[in-house]
Amino acid sequence: MTRLLAVIERDLKKFKRNPVVLAMSILMPMIYLVILGNSFQGKLTGLPLAVVNQDGGPQADRVMEYLRAVQAGPRTFSVAVLSDQRAAVDGVRSGRYKAALIIPPDFSRRVAVSGRPDIGLFLDNTDSISSDTIRNLVDAALSSIKSEYVPIREPADEPLLRDINLYGKVDYYQSLVPGVVIMAIFLGTLTTGAFNLVMDRFLGIEESYLLTPLSKGHIVGGLIISGLSITTMNAALILTMSMLITGIPLSRGIDNFFPVLFVVVFTTLCLLSLMFAILGRISHPRIVGVLSGFLNVILFFPSGAVYPVASFPGWLKSFARVNPEAYAVDALKSLLFKNAGMAAVSGDVAFLALFTAAMMALSILTFKRTL
Amino acid sequence: MQGTKAIAVHEITRKFGTATAVDRISFEVDRGEFFGFLGPNGAGKTTLIRMLTTLLVPTGGKAVVAGFDVAEDPSEVRKHIGVVPQAMTSDLDLTGRENMDIYGRFYGIRARQRKERVERLLEMVGLAQRADDLVATYSGGMRRRLEIARVLVHRPELLFLDEPTIGLDPQSRRVVWDLLRKLTEGGSITIFLTTHYMEEAETLCGRVAIIDAGRIIAMGSPAELKAGIPGNDIITLRVGGLTGEIVQSIKKLPFVHNVGMEDESIRVSADNGAENLPGLIDAVRASGGTILSASVHEQSLEDVFIHYTGKSIREEEARKINFLVGAGIPRGFGR
Repeated sequence: MTRLLAVIERDLKKFKRNPVVLAMSILMPMIYLVILGNSFQGKLTGLPLAVVNQDGGPQADRVMEYLRAVQAGPRTFSVAVLSDQRAAVDGVRSGRYKAALIIPPDFSRRVAVSGRPDIGLFLDNTDSISSDTIRNLVDAALSSIKSEYVPIREPADEPLLRDINLYGKVDYYQSLVPGVVIMAIFLGTLTTGAFNLVMDRFLGIEESYLLTPLSKGHIVGGLIISGLSITTMNAALILTMSMLITGIPLSRGIDNFFPVLFVVVFTTLCLLSLMFAILGRISHPRIVGVLSGFLNVILFFPSGAVYPVASFPGWLKSFARVNPEAYAVDALKSLLFKNAGMAAVSGDVAFLALFTAAMMALSILTFKRTL
Repeated sequence: MQGTKAIAVHEITRKFGTATAVDRISFEVDRGEFFGFLGPNGAGKTTLIRMLTTLLVPTGGKAVVAGFDVAEDPSEVRKHIGVVPQAMTSDLDLTGRENMDIYGRFYGIRARQRKERVERLLEMVGLAQRADDLVATYSGGMRRRLEIARVLVHRPELLFLDEPTIGLDPQSRRVVWDLLRKLTEGGSITIFLTTHYMEEAETLCGRVAIIDAGRIIAMGSPAELKAGIPGNDIITLRVGGLTGEIVQSIKKLPFVHNVGMEDESIRVSADNGAENLPGLIDAVRASGGTILSASVHEQSLEDVFIHYTGKSIREEEARKINFLVGAGIPRGFGR
């Protein structure tokens, strides 16, 4: 026991001597929240749209009105009115505009007379997300000119969709919080635990403690426990801060304090032991660098933190089924947004615990006590 | 069984792939002895010390250290020995005192005893003043002294040092030597040291084994080793117009044992060099050579090494690393 504690203390002391690392590991996940939240937006805004109105008739004005209303309201796009059709199309080609809408000279007349008006929409279809959004809104603008009057009663035969939210309203930023916490845990487990072993090996310091009576369990266990204490505290701090920033009531975290702590601790243990199993025999930090980006992408994106697991293709779904981060995200979402108790996440925690046990066994098995 | 010996090694062998780093080496070291392994870089010294200290598993043979078999009972061996590896292994992010304290805890030494011993050892190696500074601020010599003090915290009966003064300036080297001499004064500790510095082996060790290419080529006290080769002095002559004839004529002289030739100089091992130098010079002149310079020195362990191997202690060949795989990937599976 004294030996295990000595391994832990050595690691914690060394970590404490690098305050910059400590500050960065707290700050970086917070920046993730901001960057991630603004790059994977729930709804798009500010897409530049060029409009050339060659008609000027009453129907064309209604389309323009509708577009301006969108610009003023949900701000999906910002409209630039041009007079030259060629300039607008070139603007799309050069990337200045996401799309160009051309209203031809006979547009209003054709709406009134033949009812088959043509309108040109040049889309930058290399960016499918923004072009889909623009197409849908232009469709909506065109259909708006069909309804000459606003019906007083809704037609009785048309079904009406009403949203019924099962849980309290969760906005897009709030929904990212579990992902940010998991990201913080991932980063923490990458720079503690097995990484310190790799560094010691690289610096040749490992030899000094391999020569002592420390057992494999002391070395692996000690590094995992010190990594656990650093990462858990870090994750708790980041969870609290991101709840404050995004306005999730802190009471959620306090009511579910133990279940949340449980999930954080087991996620950390899970990733620490996974890192140990992967990095246990590596002796160059550059390999850790190469692996870290890879592991982050393959664990984080299929975790359901950003996009729902349910919409994944089959093979990716099966990967998500063994991805510990997916279980961690699911558990944290249940606790923070559905206010479900321990019972609701026990399945997730059980998986994490099982995964930890398997990886820990593998780490101790493959860790080499000799050079 | 071999409880009376500090180290008993029988035909120990270590192969790396097809290369044999240590080739059927056998020797014994008594308790209280100061034993040295002398050899050029790459001779197998580090491989040998790593096998004796349980860091490498031998591929053949047997070694009993402090009464325990290194392959069968490595954890017992570790408890009884202290090892200063060749590389600097103290933690840069910790202070000198923290380094020592944590090391003591790895051995399960109680707090009060640990504190006492750490104080005393820091005093002994002259680091008491700097004990609370980070090791990152230490010089190479200070770090090495700290590492020697660190492995004494658990009072090992057997101390292994792998090239303890490599990379140190002459002054720090002397400080380390004084420290090691002081340690053996009581006679309660056995020291096993490897070095490629002749002077180090000669001044420190009671007994020396000379190792080359993984094999012991000679073993004994420095005096015995020197006495074991013919002649007692080395005369080095630089000769203008050196020919084979001159060498032949020197070889015929009664007091000459061996002649080596290198460019313009000849290296002659002879009895009573100072006395016989004039005779040697005469012989060279008689065969038509001119003497450019002459020097006489007593035979050293270096000359013993040259006698047995025919070469001087040379520089190490670089460790071979697979260019496809690089240095960081684990090689094979082991314990």
